[in-house]
Order: sequence, then structure tokens, then C-alpha cells
Amino acid sequence: MGDGNAGRLLRKAEGVVYWAVTAPVLGRMPAPLGYRIACRRGDWIARRQPDRCAEIAGNLRYVLGDDLSPTAAQQVTREWFRLASCEAVDVMRLRHSGQALCRLVEIRGREHLDAALAAGKGAIICSGHFGSYDSAFSMLGAAGYRVTTIGRWQHNFTAGLSDIERRFWDRVHAQRLRRHRKRPNIEPWPGRFDVATRAASVLRANEVLTIVIDAPPLDNDKARAMNVPFLGHQAKLVPGVVTLAQVTGAPVLTGFLYRSADYCHQVLEISSPLPVGGERATAFKRCAAEVSAAITRTPAQWRYWASTADLASLGLVREERDAPRLPELLPLSEDSVRSDRAPDRPADRLAPG
Amino acid sequence: METVIKDYISSELVRDPALLPLADETSLLESGILDSLSLLQLVVFLEGRFGITVGDADLLPEHFASVNTICAYLRTRQPEKQAAHG
Repeated sequence: MGDGNAGRLLRKAEGVVYWAVTAPVLGRMPAPLGYRIACRRGDWIARRQPDRCAEIAGNLRYVLGDDLSPTAAQQVTREWFRLASCEAVDVMRLRHSGQALCRLVEIRGREHLDAALAAGKGAIICSGHFGSYDSAFSMLGAAGYRVTTIGRWQHNFTAGLSDIERRFWDRVHAQRLRRHRKRPNIEPWPGRFDVATRAASVLRANEVLTIVIDAPPLDNDKARAMNVPFLGHQAKLVPGVVTLAQVTGAPVLTGFLYRSADYCHQVLEISSPLPVGGERATAFKRCAAEVSAAITRTPAQWRYWASTADLASLGLVREERDAPRLPELLPLSEDSVRSDRAPDRPADRLAPG
Repeated sequence: METVIKDYISSELVRDPALLPLADETSLLESGILDSLSLLQLVVFLEGRFGITVGDADLLPEHFASVNTICAYLRTRQPEKQAAHG
């Protein structure tokens, strides 16, 4: 596929067909076969997007430095595309009761979540844009927990989408995730000032609140962002999760979904509660360190490698690397990059798929 | 009531000393004193101090625009509280 308009249209069309037709079929196949085909599709996409591969590999090397050899960076990049394709299959397996996905995911640390809820103040699961995090949150709902997520649906804030496109992505992506969640997502738009109070309502009802903390801060959140150690650098992140926990008394646990080497089985690791009392910056550094450790453990699962602009907003790469090399490309496809209204975008959540 | 609320906001939520002393009519939203998280802190304080519960439907900007509007909102809730106790 070339880089011209025709190439971009083809890529977008392939993404639409994959999410609307291919992935639903793969999601109904025996898991080993469905995920194997998804991996093949990921390999195919990677071969046809050498510029994007170079960008991802370059970002990996820039951020992780000597921890990653050039060869390893290439391998992680290929893996990134595979996992992105597999993510769509995860979403499709959430159909009906979601058991088709639940059967493939082992939840470790469930006792920590149960103990946290037994205390009656709800539980916050803190994560990152890591692996099939959105499917993991919905899967918890399918497993019997009352789950609500703080986070924007990408199709609701990506600039330049038509109403038809928004409806399409809502139907093929968000709807499948949403059905396993107790309440609509609490979407932190700029100027929406009731986000934290609505989140507190969830916790007061002794439910589970999920939040990803590794998003670049919105313009109006930059004053509250903190510089914290992250992936060997200082990243600007918003410590709202700690403030929320301190005000409500809810415990903060981490949750990360790791994909196994066979691609179809996954493990959702839920931690014991993190200490969030005392000084806010110290407490938030603990949360950020957990996300950072998960990314370091399996870097291919982190969504932001594909968006130099978002990495720059986080403070992980230099601004001069921030040149939006693909700004004209269509959103919600493999080419998805930071939108004008960017912020806590579920980066490439729909995209790579 | 005004004094209690103003003291709390001044001591706990105002990050820019240039905004002090706080006037009853100062816009808490436009001045940046109240954001999502500081609103939560304020609501928790109000609930504890005045014995009310602020429901999701009451989380309207007009109720929290200034110290004056907060007091006006609280006064509308006081009869409910008294009725509940009566």
C-alpha cells in the first residue's frame, strides 16, 4: 500500500472490513485458529507500513534505549502489530455473556479485588493503555463485577470523523465493551467538572472503577500534571487516581492483562492495594511505577509506541520528534495518530486492530 | 455558612494566592479554583459539614459557580434535611 490517497483509503477500508467482518468471524472460530489468523493479519499490516514500523521501532529505541537492541526493537514492533490485531478478536469474543473471552483469561489476584470490595468503599483498578485493557475491564464485568470506566471513547473525540463513522465504531467496538459495564463511561472532556464526583458515586456504590493513568495530560490538566519516573524518563502524568482514592478512601489496585505466547490465552494480574496515603506525589509515583514495570516487562503491549506526538506530550521523547508525520492519515485505522482533541485517547484502541 | 465555605475553599482549594481573599461572587470555575477533583473535595466537605448528600443530578455548574451559589444551593437542601429530622 502506498502513501498516497489511494493507499490511505485502502488502509482505512481494510481496517473497517477487519473490524466489521473479519474479526467477528475470527472471534467465532476456535481460539487458536482465530488468533493465529489475527497474527498473520498483523504481520501483513506491518509489512505494508514500513514507515510506521520505523516510527514504532525508533520510539522504542529512543525511550527504552540500550535496554532494547535494534533487532529486539524490530521484534517488538512486529509483535505490536500482532497484538493490535488480536485485540479486535478479544472484543468480538465479548459477545453475549462474554464467556468466549472469559474462558481464555485467567484472573490472578481476584481475592485482592474481592477483599477490597468487602471493605465497602469500592475499588479502583489502575492500569495503562496496555494490551487489551478495555476488553479486560469489560471482562471483569462479564465475570460478575460491577465495573465503570473513566475514559473517552476514541470515536467520540477524534476530530474529522463523520457521524456515520462515529456510529460505525460505536457499534463494532464500543457497544460490545459497554454491554458488560455497569454505567456509561465517565468521559473526562475538557470543561466537564463532574468527572471525579461521578467516579466517587461509583465507589460509594461499592463498585469497581477502572482508570488508565498513562495518558498525555489535556491542556487544561497540564497544571495538575506531575513529573514522575516512567520508563527510565520523567513523564508528565495526572495524579487524579490518588486524589480520588484519598478523598473517597477507596483502595487502588493495579490490573494488567498479559497475553501468552500462544496469543489466545491471557492472564489478568490484579495486585494487592497500593499504599496511597500520605503525600500525593509519592503515592502517585508508586502507581506510575507499576504501569512502567508492566510496559517494561512486555513493551509490545503498550499502545503509545505508535504515536510520537503522544510520547512527546508525555515528555518521553523530544519535541522535535513530535513532528506529526502522519497527521493527514485517517483516524481509527492503523494510521491513527493523536487527534486535535487528543488527551486520554484510548490510543489506537480501535486502530491497529 | 458563607464563612465556613469560604474558609474551606480558601485554605484547601485555592492554589493561587493571588485569588485571595476570596469574594462571595468570585467565579470558582472560571478562576480555575474548582476543577473536577477539587469539586469532589468540596462536595465531600459540604456533605460532611452540612449533613446532606449531593446527588449526581445536583452536580450542576450553576450550583457551584461561586460561594454565593453554593450557599443558595445548600439553603434549598436544608428544608429537606430538617424534614428528614423532623
